[in-house]
Amino acid sequence: MSLVGKLKYQFMKDIGAPALMSLKDLKQHRKRPVSPAFGPPLKTNKRLKEILSRHYFLARYVPGAKQVAWVTSGAPVELLRAFDFYTIYPENHSALVGAKKQGADYCTIAENDGFSQDLCSYARIDLGHMLSGKTPAGKLPKPDLLFCSNNICQTVLYWYKAIAHELDIPLIHFDVPFVAVEQSEADVRYLAQQLLDMIPILEQFTGKVFDLKQFEIILKRSQESSQTWGKILELMQAKPAPMTIFDAFGHLAPVVSLRGLPVAQDYYDLLLKEVDERVNKGIGAITNERYRLIWDNIAVWYQVRYLATFFAERNMNFVTATYTNAWAETTGYLDIKDPWSSMAKTYGQIILNNNLKHRLGLMRKMIKNFGVDGMVMHSTRSCKPYSVGQFDLRKALSAELKLPAVIIDADIADERVWSQQQIQTRLEAFCETLEDTTLG
Amino acid sequence: MADNCFAGVDVGSLSTDVVIINASGKCLAEVVIATGLNGGETAQKAFDQSLNQAGLAQEQIKAVTATGYGRASVAFATGKTTEISCHGVGAHHLFPNTGTVIDIGGQDSKVIQVDERGRMLDFTMNDKCAAGTGRFLEVMAHRLELGLNELSDPLNIKGETVQISSTCTVFAESEVISLLAKQTPREQIVNGLQRSIVNRIWSMVTSIGIHGEVTLTGGVANNQGLVLVLEEKLGKKLNVPENPQTVGALGAAHIALRGYHK
Amino acid sequence: MIPNRKKYLKQQAQNGQKIMGVLPALYPRELLWAFDILPAEIWDPPGDILRANAHLQATICPIVKRGLEFILKESASVNAGYLFPHTCDSLQNLATQVKDLIGTSQPVYTFYNPKAQFNKTTRRYYLDLLQDFQTTLETKFGPLNRAKLMAACELGSKIDIRWLTLQNARRADQLELTNPEYFQLVRAGEYLKPEDYLTLLNQVEVQAGPVHQSNRRLLLSGILPPHEETLSFLDELSVTIVADDLLSGSRRFPITQLDTPVDPFEYLTDRHFLLPPCSTRASNLKERIHHLQKMISESQVHGVLFNIIKFCEPELFDHRFLVKTLKQNRVPLLSLETELLPGISGQDRTRIEAFIEMLDEQVSG
Repeated sequence: MSLVGKLKYQFMKDIGAPALMSLKDLKQHRKRPVSPAFGPPLKTNKRLKEILSRHYFLARYVPGAKQVAWVTSGAPVELLRAFDFYTIYPENHSALVGAKKQGADYCTIAENDGFSQDLCSYARIDLGHMLSGKTPAGKLPKPDLLFCSNNICQTVLYWYKAIAHELDIPLIHFDVPFVAVEQSEADVRYLAQQLLDMIPILEQFTGKVFDLKQFEIILKRSQESSQTWGKILELMQAKPAPMTIFDAFGHLAPVVSLRGLPVAQDYYDLLLKEVDERVNKGIGAITNERYRLIWDNIAVWYQVRYLATFFAERNMNFVTATYTNAWAETTGYLDIKDPWSSMAKTYGQIILNNNLKHRLGLMRKMIKNFGVDGMVMHSTRSCKPYSVGQFDLRKALSAELKLPAVIIDADIADERVWSQQQIQTRLEAFCETLEDTTLG
Repeated sequence: MADNCFAGVDVGSLSTDVVIINASGKCLAEVVIATGLNGGETAQKAFDQSLNQAGLAQEQIKAVTATGYGRASVAFATGKTTEISCHGVGAHHLFPNTGTVIDIGGQDSKVIQVDERGRMLDFTMNDKCAAGTGRFLEVMAHRLELGLNELSDPLNIKGETVQISSTCTVFAESEVISLLAKQTPREQIVNGLQRSIVNRIWSMVTSIGIHGEVTLTGGVANNQGLVLVLEEKLGKKLNVPENPQTVGALGAAHIALRGYHK
Repeated sequence: MIPNRKKYLKQQAQNGQKIMGVLPALYPRELLWAFDILPAEIWDPPGDILRANAHLQATICPIVKRGLEFILKESASVNAGYLFPHTCDSLQNLATQVKDLIGTSQPVYTFYNPKAQFNKTTRRYYLDLLQDFQTTLETKFGPLNRAKLMAACELGSKIDIRWLTLQNARRADQLELTNPEYFQLVRAGEYLKPEDYLTLLNQVEVQAGPVHQSNRRLLLSGILPPHEETLSFLDELSVTIVADDLLSGSRRFPITQLDTPVDPFEYLTDRHFLLPPCSTRASNLKERIHHLQKMISESQVHGVLFNIIKFCEPELFDHRFLVKTLKQNRVPLLSLETELLPGISGQDRTRIEAFIEMLDEQVSG
């Protein structure tokens, strides 16, 4: 790491980037018309944009200043933070590409290079980015290290293995056994030991000495961010709900990709304050909230706006989702006094690494707590752990709670599999049944 | 005529083609008829017609190579070879500098790499899905109430286009329906469709690579609009034979000739 | 010579044999044998997929769908539960879907296969997994008899050794077996009792010299071999598959011969980590590529046939890298994609024939 590089990075971080961001903000005022069905937008949206743009913007100044790690969304990033890595979340980046409706372009690059169209689109987009250097975020620094945990899927492991091979860089893998019944003592021991084993590897890789005190601060901060995020989501129990889940899909980004950094904690404090205020003042995310819905699975990134508007205009609001909840659900296990075992429990029991009995119970609870009237499940080709079992979850919840539900077959980021006609018809039919059951 | 002659019979899903050549490779007859329910009978009929056309008696044909998906049903064949090899050899004889052959047929499409002697080095074939084949265009032409000729019009390619993103024929068809419902001009839809089929084929092209000159064979090569899009993507001109659908039969005839002299 | 799977299992069940239905792929079979349980593996049961479609999306791999279809039939031949080893995301979820949502009259067991690279921590954990699995089985089937486990390991070791011999013999073209016969033999291990399987393997004669006239030798890679009709078609074209890199084949046998077992759990752990590189164990690509290349050169094949199961993520990620490397090294290869339907499609016939034409031209120079 060069001194000049470090200085340049520090300058951009503290002065350059904020200045440029505010300039950019002045320029960006081409607004698309928003449906009158929506309530006033969150003021914090602006801050979110700033944080994320700055994060991607700063990435350009990272080479030479910091080591770069590419990290999966479920990996215990706190450990990397203790070694001061600059972290990039390819899943987050792929979602960004998807949201810009460029997913198919990136996927095609990977497909033309021999990756099957049947693979996860986050992976294909990222591999397309790796092969071509293309990104809507300006420029992404190449990774020095890969950090991956299969607690969200095995796919990320195959995908990171592919990058590690292609770029010939090390991959640190946190192997998290699936919780088929419950986490065993052996599982916790295995997970904790793996974390401990990583320390000397990271020390050698970075040339830095692990500082337990510093690590504990990071861990605490991370937990606080997750907990605050959890509180924000809980506030959506209010009627009318102060946010839609589509807002939350966006506000999720810092807890996923900046977790453990002060910026994330400050951000959620701000958001909590605003959401709390809205609840007290009775300001809803949509102007006339009549039906409350739950969303299951990852967002359909290229159709967020369409879906939000479709439902808002029918006076329906998504007030909770299994997806957004995932970064808050298990954070209670974290215990600074016993960091390794408690991280094993936190990271080992997240929704996608847990059995479907657990998921059913969680959804049941969410449906009750949030006063949910109906459920939309996104069955996504890309994500097997999220999608295999959905048909039976739906059956169980519909039967038990008399909950109207619909499943739409789509994908997280590859817009080519979206069939507008088919989906619109299904959603309209769903809305009709919803109105029937709740009125009758 | 004392000359030894050789025939290639290509029994495809839509048409059965016969080509007869003499020992020096000169083409003496070329027949294309629709494949009936019975591939064997159709082959015989086409073969008889071609003998007629060339003014030859059956004894003068020293070897017959059958190809195409109905190749096993050709009773009078002396050998059989897949249409993949045949398209490679046929394209090589028409355009000796060919390195890559793109064959877009009714049911299948293939990309074939050949060496300087026309021998196959590598190939790939579409998966079960019809999205990169002539069938896709037929379905869409029907939906747009256009003849294949109108669909092929190169003028469509010059103007504006729409994105047809679905990779599945069935979904693409429903996309076309909604575009029509939105009053999107038909020529824009056609433009989008041509680009979508080329994208589909392109992944096969990249998996084989572009080597030397590229020759397009199969009935779809008559689609001028598609040729234009493919050339745009390729960044160079394609070799398009005068009778692209008989290249397989031509290759088969040459294989028959080569086998006879071995 | 090889007993029919369905009949054999039915007979065994009627004799009071405990039979556990096991989904793909890797599990400590010796531990089940020690509990007098016969593992009957469920890879690609034949028949139409009807009921499973109500539980699984269209884009789920056919192994998972066929597995569920089989389970939903509640076959009388499975009387000691189902075991789901942790192989991939889809099978992982299917296990809990069957156990927690769909329900079956049989108990459902799971066994995690570590995905981390081999080291002290991983090894230790695998030992723990064996211990935990033993405890789970004991609650249902009574205490484990250590002597039986020891005997099971010894039997397993004999099967492994015999396999190594037969694999080498196939490579040297010393087995007078057609392609379908060879893979029937490989796959008989999916349902025969170990002693019956060993007897069967010992009956296979190893000939002195090359037995096939053909000079076309292929290596087969993938999860499962293609359907029998495809294998027969290869025989018709004088093609012999002389080596395999199949998950249902050589990837289940240790690369080298192990020492005779002393401590059963230590032995089973060593055996697990000596299995060849595999996508489902997330082996790193360098090892996987190296292993494949080594097999290609040792078995002197003319080309490689990949049998890819539609929607199989672990295998599809690796596939791109294997293909790239082989192409760079000018090893002819053909990839077939299968949804595990019976028979052979016209397209696949053409593909295979064209591939052979290409091989012949390249061989003839």
